[in-house]
Amino acid sequence: MSYGEIIENSAQRLQDLTRKGSMVVGYLYPHTPIELLMAHGLTPSLIRVNPSVVAGFEDSLQTFSCAFTRNIFSQRANGNLLSLSGVLFPGNTCDALQNVADVWRFRFPGDKILRVTYPATALTEHAVDFLANEFRFLSDNIAKMFDRQISATELADAASIVNDFREAMQFLYAARVYDSNAITYSELVSLLRKFLTAPDRSVVDEIAERFREIRQVLEKNGHLNSADILKDGLLIGNLEKVVTPPSNEFPRIVVVGGMVEPQAIASIVNNLDGVSDNIIALDLLSFGFKTVFTPKTLIPPANKGTKPIGAAPEPSYEGPFKAMARAVLQAPLEPTQEGLTTRTEFLKQLLTKIGVQGLVVCEQSFCDPDEFEAPSLEKAAEKAGIPSLRFPIDPELSDRGRLEGRLQTFLETIGEV
Amino acid sequence: MASGKLGIGVDVGSTTTKAVLIDHTGSILASHLMNTGAAAEAAALKCIDEICKMAKITPNDATTIGTGYGRALVESAFKRVTEITCHSVGVHHLNPDIRLLIDVGGQDSKVIRIGPKGRPEDFEINDKCSAGTGRFLEVMARVLEVTMDELGPLALKSDSPCDISSTCTVFAESEVIGRIGAGDAPHDIAAGIHRSMASKIATLSKRVGVVQPIGVTGGVAQNPAFKHYISRQLDSELWVPDIPQLTGALGAAVLALKDPS
Amino acid sequence: MTEEKAYRRLESSKELQQISFQHMLEGHHASEEGRLAWVTSGFPVEIPVAMDVGVVYPEQYGAVVGANKVGPMVCGFAEDIGYSSELCSYARASIGSILKPSESPLEGLPKPQALLACNNICGSVLKWYDAVSELTEAPVFLLDTPALDVEQQPHHIEYVRHGIDNLIEFLSTTLGSTLTDERLIETAKLSSEAITLWQKSLKACKAKPTPLNCADRFLTMAPVVSSRGKQYCVDFYKTLYEEVESRVKEGIGAIRDEKVRLLWDNIPPWFQIFRFFNGMAQRGVAFPADTYTHAWSGAVEADDPYTSVATVYSNSYLNKGLEAKADKMEHLIKDYDLDGFIMFSVRSCKRYSLGQMVTREIVTERTGVPGTIIEGDMVDSRLFNEAQIGTRVDALLEMFV
Repeated sequence: MSYGEIIENSAQRLQDLTRKGSMVVGYLYPHTPIELLMAHGLTPSLIRVNPSVVAGFEDSLQTFSCAFTRNIFSQRANGNLLSLSGVLFPGNTCDALQNVADVWRFRFPGDKILRVTYPATALTEHAVDFLANEFRFLSDNIAKMFDRQISATELADAASIVNDFREAMQFLYAARVYDSNAITYSELVSLLRKFLTAPDRSVVDEIAERFREIRQVLEKNGHLNSADILKDGLLIGNLEKVVTPPSNEFPRIVVVGGMVEPQAIASIVNNLDGVSDNIIALDLLSFGFKTVFTPKTLIPPANKGTKPIGAAPEPSYEGPFKAMARAVLQAPLEPTQEGLTTRTEFLKQLLTKIGVQGLVVCEQSFCDPDEFEAPSLEKAAEKAGIPSLRFPIDPELSDRGRLEGRLQTFLETIGEV
Repeated sequence: MASGKLGIGVDVGSTTTKAVLIDHTGSILASHLMNTGAAAEAAALKCIDEICKMAKITPNDATTIGTGYGRALVESAFKRVTEITCHSVGVHHLNPDIRLLIDVGGQDSKVIRIGPKGRPEDFEINDKCSAGTGRFLEVMARVLEVTMDELGPLALKSDSPCDISSTCTVFAESEVIGRIGAGDAPHDIAAGIHRSMASKIATLSKRVGVVQPIGVTGGVAQNPAFKHYISRQLDSELWVPDIPQLTGALGAAVLALKDPS
Repeated sequence: MTEEKAYRRLESSKELQQISFQHMLEGHHASEEGRLAWVTSGFPVEIPVAMDVGVVYPEQYGAVVGANKVGPMVCGFAEDIGYSSELCSYARASIGSILKPSESPLEGLPKPQALLACNNICGSVLKWYDAVSELTEAPVFLLDTPALDVEQQPHHIEYVRHGIDNLIEFLSTTLGSTLTDERLIETAKLSSEAITLWQKSLKACKAKPTPLNCADRFLTMAPVVSSRGKQYCVDFYKTLYEEVESRVKEGIGAIRDEKVRLLWDNIPPWFQIFRFFNGMAQRGVAFPADTYTHAWSGAVEADDPYTSVATVYSNSYLNKGLEAKADKMEHLIKDYDLDGFIMFSVRSCKRYSLGQMVTREIVTERTGVPGTIIEGDMVDSRLFNEAQIGTRVDALLEMFV
């Protein structure tokens, strides 16, 4: 499926859901408590950039609003997001998103706008308390705005759907590091998109099916144990025990960046002469890795009787808002949070441990967090002895020829022509 | 007719298309340069046709590699390699000492750090905007009502270049118009334009690390004022090949020759 | 107008040089003693000052780089090592000056031992200070004051309040300084006194003609940013207010012939500050108010200074939404009886500038006065297109004849 078809498919699925009576709330930030929205009977859907958008923002935003916000805003201005019942913005993540939410409210006064404000500090108990309160406000606002009350049973169900999704995806991500042919990067991120477009049990079942198949593949080629160790290491941000994969005949890369579309990356890589996306060992993107490697949300199951056999002893549960806040704050750090050193140290360790030949550092134009962080990431790669490439990629891929040239040249420099 | 293995390199750039034919010793047998125009594919064909005629061979007698912006359009190429690798290889072929290459083309400018084996080690390309490319100079030449060939010599007459500070071509254009309106001398304005462009390229160079000796290729390499200002900004002598537009195609030809197939 | 200049120089502004000299001297002294912090303009500086920590302001330094017209060069040093030219020019200027102090104004800021960032002015400060930390090896402390969507809620106050505890702990472990309530209250009092006097001078600009023009306020605000909590800062604002008062009493305007009164929105183009505002003065255009100098408004209360810091600094102008910005502009236009407004769209500053296009519509709708948006940057003169700006300003002024 081409990138264009994938986007069309997602839009189609949302329209079908709306026609069947679902209330869809769009969100923009990867660390959104989607289980909370689901517990209110809403369908949370990640709003994606659309490469075919040409204009729309010009009478509301200056061009130095980041490429991501310009694209999303233009979609709304062009009437492309009308099937949504509301939009959830993040607060305190970056200046562009902060202000664009306000501009949106003024420009489209009929839209239902929600906002969750995130702490910019790393994980502390005070940050957890703050975010838990924000989630509580979100829940109250949803109840008021959409007249949908939260249900404990649905929250437990939603949490289990989200947890199962994460667990399976985490394994698939780790599996590709050892055998990038077991599942293509395109397939991996399209499964991810499918879930984030409209999360439900049936998508999780589909992912779980692939999960079982690929576990078998890795069992056969002897990488299963290594993949499990990597998965656990990535989850806690410590790769000490990780086993370096055998070397490949082609150079492999890690892709890092913020709110860049993984499918756009896959599409560019697959378009290169004689190259496929198996060169991507791992991405560290916000809508990829960072969405997937969030730990489980520990919410007690509504029906205590269904405890699976062999399950771990019951953890001590805290309130659901705190549990969700804790999970979100334990996700891999975004560049909008403090902890640059933690991120660069992790990157250095990762690049050394998983034996790749290059790092691609994505940045969207006028994205402060990406552009500020890029020199530090490049420095970290250099310390790990890995060459890096700055990759200025905007949602519209308007510069596609040059982007492909840039990437192909980079592959030529790290491999052999 | 030539004997032994032959290599053809075709460099389809945004402004010009270039082709080079070399023999198994690496000597250039024929070369051709023409405007790309609207039909890049046809330009590539025509270029190959020309050099084959000169050497009295058919395209099938040689191994071809395509490079440049339109590399995908070179039908007969068995392989496509980016112009950055090809420029490195081409320059290395002509002068193996060069460690840093500045290539300024019509819509791209690149700075490439070349390893001892002639392969690129690191590189930077200008961003989307055309400041710091040949196009920038074209726009400015038009505003000053001189030809591209006259622009560089005009700038060299200046002792006190104007400050042309805008990074964006459109802004710089109105800045230049403002300077003309203020009565500044055309040669001072022209010098300011070259200095502004050189500083943009110098930033790219510093990003990959300035290492000696430095070579300059691409169409703009023939512009004396550009060379003057870039050499001042980087505090360094510059090496320029005889036909600086051909190094990409030459590199592609060298790679074609080396290919085992 | 013959020989007389269109703009009258402020007598008290002569003291500014001495104050800024003293401020730099204090900074160097603190740096040598290992107790200097670089701080963001909106940081609750009362706390480090009360702990005897020296403070200098990279944003103010950025303004100096701009005013010296070397923005493109100093920012360029940062671009050379990979910082995008799209990033904040204050950040690029300070990073550039760290890389090449000998080629930067004042040879850069004195070396810091700590970096204190408060994100109540923008989110970029964290990224910027992280970058500075990488280059200087001074540790960063982030005081997180999440942007306010609605009114500040109890959990928000609580969170920021804990942040202040962490700040005190950070300063005591990093720099070995201690804080007593007496010192904090004393500092907060001095700080509030300066702010109150400053606000009186700002309010005096309601007079016609206005006693202070834009450039006057942009320059005289320096001490209230950099030396809050110091006695000499209070003294300066007393002198300033006396001069302002006497100007008002005698009907002396900041500009000779005030015909049009405009509101200025955003940071000024430092490299053009006199050229632009004096050029406007020659045409009879005065700026009795601006949103930038009115941003320094909150005074810390002495009875519960910690909670007061948590509320005052969270409620800064740039930490609130567009609605608050539109309200502020509306009130300034009405209270200062202004004829129109100019919004400077500053590419460096998304927090200040994104939203101006809708705010402009809202403010005109509510006040009935016209406004225009001009584009550029506060330090990076490469982004300032004088011809285009001239056309927009002329078109606005033509509406008043």
